[in-house]
Amino acid sequence: MTMTANQPARSCAPASPAARRPLDFIFSPRSAVVVGANASPGTVPYDIFHNMLISGYRGTLYPVAPGKANICAVKAYRYVTDVPDSADLAVIVFPAEVVERALEQCGQMGIRSAIIVSAGFREAGPEGFEREQRVKAICRRYDISLIGPNCLGVINTDPSVRLNASFARKMPEAGRIAFLSQSGALCTAVLDYARDKSIGFSKFVSFGNKAGIGEADLLDYLHHDDQTDVILLYLEEITDGRALVETARRVTRGPNAKPILAIKSGRTAEGAHAAASHTGSLAGEDVICDDLFRDAGIIRVNSIEELFNAAIMYAYQPMPVGDRLAIVTNAGGPGVMATDAAVRAGLSISRFAPSTTAKLKAALPAAANIQNPVDVIGDARADRYMAALDAVLADGGVDEVLVILTPQSMTDIEQIAAGICQVHDQATKPIACSFMGATDVVPGVRMLQEAHIPHYILPEWACRAMADVQKIRQWRQDRLWRSEPIAVDHGTAKAILDRSGEGYLREDEALGVLKAYGLPVPPHRLCKDADEAVECAAEIGYPVVLRAVSRQIIHKSEAKAVALNLIDANSLRRAYDQMRGHIAAVMPQATIDGMLVRGMIPAGHELIIGAKRDPSFGPIVMFGLGGIYVEIFKDVTFGLAPLGRPAAGCMMRRVRASQLLEGIRGGAAADLAGIEQCLVRVSQLIADFDRIAEIDVNPLIAGPAGVGNAVADVRIRLRA
Amino acid sequence: MDRSEVEQRVNKVVCHVLNVDPELVKPECHFVFDLGAESIQSVQLVAAFEAEFGIEMDNDAALKIKTVGTAVDFIAASLQQPQK
Repeated sequence: MTMTANQPARSCAPASPAARRPLDFIFSPRSAVVVGANASPGTVPYDIFHNMLISGYRGTLYPVAPGKANICAVKAYRYVTDVPDSADLAVIVFPAEVVERALEQCGQMGIRSAIIVSAGFREAGPEGFEREQRVKAICRRYDISLIGPNCLGVINTDPSVRLNASFARKMPEAGRIAFLSQSGALCTAVLDYARDKSIGFSKFVSFGNKAGIGEADLLDYLHHDDQTDVILLYLEEITDGRALVETARRVTRGPNAKPILAIKSGRTAEGAHAAASHTGSLAGEDVICDDLFRDAGIIRVNSIEELFNAAIMYAYQPMPVGDRLAIVTNAGGPGVMATDAAVRAGLSISRFAPSTTAKLKAALPAAANIQNPVDVIGDARADRYMAALDAVLADGGVDEVLVILTPQSMTDIEQIAAGICQVHDQATKPIACSFMGATDVVPGVRMLQEAHIPHYILPEWACRAMADVQKIRQWRQDRLWRSEPIAVDHGTAKAILDRSGEGYLREDEALGVLKAYGLPVPPHRLCKDADEAVECAAEIGYPVVLRAVSRQIIHKSEAKAVALNLIDANSLRRAYDQMRGHIAAVMPQATIDGMLVRGMIPAGHELIIGAKRDPSFGPIVMFGLGGIYVEIFKDVTFGLAPLGRPAAGCMMRRVRASQLLEGIRGGAAADLAGIEQCLVRVSQLIADFDRIAEIDVNPLIAGPAGVGNAVADVRIRLRA
Repeated sequence: MDRSEVEQRVNKVVCHVLNVDPELVKPECHFVFDLGAESIQSVQLVAAFEAEFGIEMDNDAALKIKTVGTAVDFIAASLQQPQK
């Protein structure tokens, strides 16, 4: 590298003058200023400037280092305002206490984007939180796109940019994988791990506290980044879950679709704090994340290993057209284990065409297994592997291939690896390998990795990665998650809600809201006395249910505030008097608003449809087995409201109890389309009315098809 | 010791420890933002002030000194207090 002292570090022609998006200023800055650089190697301010300098950055670089004449032989400036150019990007490495002043100067200089690497903000307590708020205000005032604070920085390996604005030890190789991480420390570990496996990156972003740009903005940017094929995401907390899901749906589907693989750490139950409603107590953050990530096409994985295992399978291999796997192995045991793992992961094991088995029979010894998994026998050398690989790849019933090798004394590992590389160059189907071992297989593994053939130490990992890619394929084939307009009586529901204050809606009002939204609410009326109740029951028809209506009585059965199957006027009057007397005795503080008379609902499956307003994801709905079982089995799924019918159907099929609804062991199938409609309508209700905090339809009684469904109980809680 | 002498000696210490041009050092200068002090140099500055003026600076108090002017104020006040 040639460098003239006291000159800007590098200069090149500006990038395309086409309209640049805000994040282009971060990832592809034509000029950058490192604010707070110093001359002490081994410190963050020095290392970042040095990394930018030596990474071959194609733009112009300016260090701002008060009191210093130069940094790394590049002329330094005392203040950002002294820099003789308006840079695209400021990388701020000053201590937190002066970051605001530096950022303010950047704004004054018209700098549109900043990376604040410094720590000492929200993560450092109340004072840091306030400091971060002030930083956000400066960014808003000057329209600055911000990454950080408290992050490792940003890397763009694009040869036309070559930006390493980070304090990672080395610039990674260029590749087609983008990695986004909330944890800076994890980034350096991942870079080291990836280098060992010859994995390259397109973009590498540590976004820290997310005071400006969050995960959704980055996903949106990478969707249109022609250097990126697959996006990996490590998240500790979700800033705006709704934006994340909606962006991810756009990114993972349609033209230019890119898969997103994510680790969301913090799988704790803290979010599922005690709540009055079933929906509240069941809707722990992690459970919601699982379901909503799935609905967004985000493949959630549990470890860094799985993240990269799947990423390289997708990034380095063609998308399989189906899920039928062929296994070629020189070891029976691992072949059987791989078969088990493949089936467990949801892959199919191919059945070979007769022409394939004929080819295998001709090429392999008599003791070989010519069915799937193909066992080329322990003494196999490269010729047998290649013959088997050629035969199975040519089979129309094979969609992808796993090659397993165990190192026997006669196994020519490197020749086999070279042969696989050769076959791979011509293949249109995905190939993965598992050379099992840790020492003898290393040269062969290295050859595979350098040829970008996914290699896994264990065949089970290969199967898991292939299954993750199948999830991506299936997601792209699913119907779009559109919510079609549905006919509802919005005005009636609004009128009821407008006249109600904070807290639970009275039961008859809650039923009125559901009825307005087209849910199957049985005939009912709120009655002031026993005479009116008897009159109402005669209109509805016996048998009836009697329920005391009081805002203070949340759980009616525990307060004996419900009487079922009242068959005539006498039993109704008796129940009426007993109920009033009991409540007066055990809950004297309860105000009875009236007694609700409602028609009896025929027996059926008890389901729950819930909805709540999640702080991150906004309105969400829940579906599961209801009644008293809901808290025990927790067999529930979540979806983002409003739902379309395909999404509602998908939610229903995800609960384990769905088999009951479909009818098993001679049982009648439930009215599945009707239940789907209920789910769609409850989701529309919470999406339409911002004041609704929670809805619990529990139970919804699902009768057999032909009988239909009915709301047996509902609670709706309003915000102020 | 009068204030101008304190100021002169503070400036001398600052220039020496931070290796900056004397012309840059003004009372309103922030040690980090205007003079580029690194975290280790902040510690060195406190030690150099203590040696120059024969005083002991409390850690918490020293942390609050952000500018050359506040350093002069703090040291001048310390020198006026009766020695222990």
